[in-house]
Amino acid sequence: MSKTQSGILRLESANVLKVVMSDYFKRLKDAEETAGKKIAWCTSVGPAELLYSMGFEVYFPENHGAMLGASKKADKYIPSAVAEGYSPDICSYLTSDIGAFLQNETPLQRSGFEAVPKPDILVYNTNQCHEVADWFSFYARHFDVPILGIHTPLGLNELSDTIINGVAEQFKALVPELEKVSPRKFDMDAFKKSIELSRDACVRWREVLEKAMHRPSPINFFDAAIHMGPIVVMRGTTYALDYYNVLYDELDDRIAKGISSVPNEKYRLYWEGMPLWYQLSNMARLFASLDTCVVASTYCNSWVFDDLDPADPFYSSALAYSKLFIVRSEEVKKEMLQEHLKDYAIDGIIYHDSKTCPRNSNNRFGLQNRLYEETNIPFLEINGDLNDPRCFSEEQSLIAIETFIQQLAEKIYS
Amino acid sequence: MLKLGIDLGSSYTKGVLVNDENQIVDQFVVKTGFDFKRAASRIMTKFEEDYEIATPVYTCGYGRDQVDFEHISNSEIMALSKAVFTKFNKKCAVIDIGGQDTKFIKINQQGQVDKFKMNRKCAAGTGSFLEEIAFRLDISPLEFNTLTDEATEEVRINSYCTVFAISEIIGLIKKGATIANIAVGIYNSIIERCMEMVAADETIIITGGVPEKHPTIVRLFKKKFSKVESPENSQFFAAWGNILLNSQK
Ligand code: SF4
Repeated sequence: MSKTQSGILRLESANVLKVVMSDYFKRLKDAEETAGKKIAWCTSVGPAELLYSMGFEVYFPENHGAMLGASKKADKYIPSAVAEGYSPDICSYLTSDIGAFLQNETPLQRSGFEAVPKPDILVYNTNQCHEVADWFSFYARHFDVPILGIHTPLGLNELSDTIINGVAEQFKALVPELEKVSPRKFDMDAFKKSIELSRDACVRWREVLEKAMHRPSPINFFDAAIHMGPIVVMRGTTYALDYYNVLYDELDDRIAKGISSVPNEKYRLYWEGMPLWYQLSNMARLFASLDTCVVASTYCNSWVFDDLDPADPFYSSALAYSKLFIVRSEEVKKEMLQEHLKDYAIDGIIYHDSKTCPRNSNNRFGLQNRLYEETNIPFLEINGDLNDPRCFSEEQSLIAIETFIQQLAEKIYS
Repeated sequence: MLKLGIDLGSSYTKGVLVNDENQIVDQFVVKTGFDFKRAASRIMTKFEEDYEIATPVYTCGYGRDQVDFEHISNSEIMALSKAVFTKFNKKCAVIDIGGQDTKFIKINQQGQVDKFKMNRKCAAGTGSFLEEIAFRLDISPLEFNTLTDEATEEVRINSYCTVFAISEIIGLIKKGATIANIAVGIYNSIIERCMEMVAADETIIITGGVPEKHPTIVRLFKKKFSKVESPENSQFFAAWGNILLNSQK
């Protein structure tokens, strides 16, 4: 087993993950080079199952955005998008992705791509935010290809049939438009199969995350943020399910052998908000040095679409993709968080207020205070951004996090 | 032997010497400049002239681990809270206005930190805001204090951003506002920024180098809120709290 400098154990499955992700990109490259295959671009919580079932290879610009963030180059690219009229205050996935495109650069060049795979069609769902529609529109104009969207109502409290049926109709309406481009006609059985594979992978992914309920936890948020790649980009294929079986077994094995992710886990935290992609390993080291494991997060838990049901694929797609945290009312969000806090035995919460992603910054409407009043679980708010490092003060956050852990120690051990 | 606590802040480095009863015997402050190690050594050298100093030394602040001697480092927020609670022994909210950041800490009846917050990355609400504006107006920052005595009305500065605030001030000057009235507006702008962090009915303890050098801030705070206190020498509180934290472990 290999240990990193901080003593954090590296997951062996990371080697498998590398292959799984590289094969995924190879399939995209093959599709680009083979006339028979078409490429659809899709949002991270968009209708991936439908696209895969119709024979598309599916590319996710948000995944690319995260790669740009993790490669610490977003601030090199953002200015080019700003020069095109995109404000530095809007989604920095969008600005870094468009900026990199304008500069003709992509981390995929390391995998033999000349540029990001060219889309034949773009499909988004606004369940996460409306930025994605504007983001995809840029590429629709650039490549002169069709763009399709599902417009999901936001701030949902009850998931009434009226709402879900409305969204399901939008899913169905995609089919004839996709058929104009797709290599294959829509086939209900193939769609059902894809939904089933996606559901099974989501359930496995949830079970992987739930392994962190064990004390000490065999996995932490910073690992999970990397290992979530397949559930984001390969939902609806066997690849995602196969991968999470491997990861699940490794975590099981760790628990059986008493191996923890963080060497000396004393405090268990919940991460609310986007990861700081350019700080992922620094953060992992910092928390480990403070005997703290970030065991759960809204972010990683968002890709659990276990309501998908092959018996009713359109309705259940609409339900699953409208039920997720980011779509819900503040009240429902609070209840969802409360459940996680209990299930994972959380000592404290970190809210990352991500400057350019208001929809993933859940400390802006008093939720953090209301949750504190009900749970008495201390919280810390840190200011930063998912991709733009210029919005983050490392020194200030370091002091804040260290202090927060001392605050928890005082509370727990007094 | 006396215990030494040092708070290595981004603008100033503060040192206190404490006896066995944890009372402050002596204190000294130097500008941090560009070198934390040098600032800490200057404090050490100064005290070594007259006292015998025990090791380890207790440090906190941005440069807490940038010292050349054996030390135990702490979070300055925990250290400051300890000092405030030792002094006041009650539930309160602390607003610490420093050169580069403003901190807000909520302390409960047991003296534990319930919540804390640091200001965002800009200068608003900090000493840098005052310094930058003073520089642009070509006066010394401390002059703002005396100027406010001549103020006849409170001019409002709306902008948080230092750059915007400066253009706003230039606009006010063009419209005939006096520099004395503007000075009050500048202080009030810092206070308003701080008040975003506390509830109106809390006992507020104001600490830090800025209120110590600019007593007008404390005076204006008291005008707006009923339960405001600001202890003397509060810029040394974190350095002192450092020692208190460790002596009770
Ligand atoms: S949810 Fe946030 S990070 Fe994701 S695309 Fe929308 S604005 Fe960007």
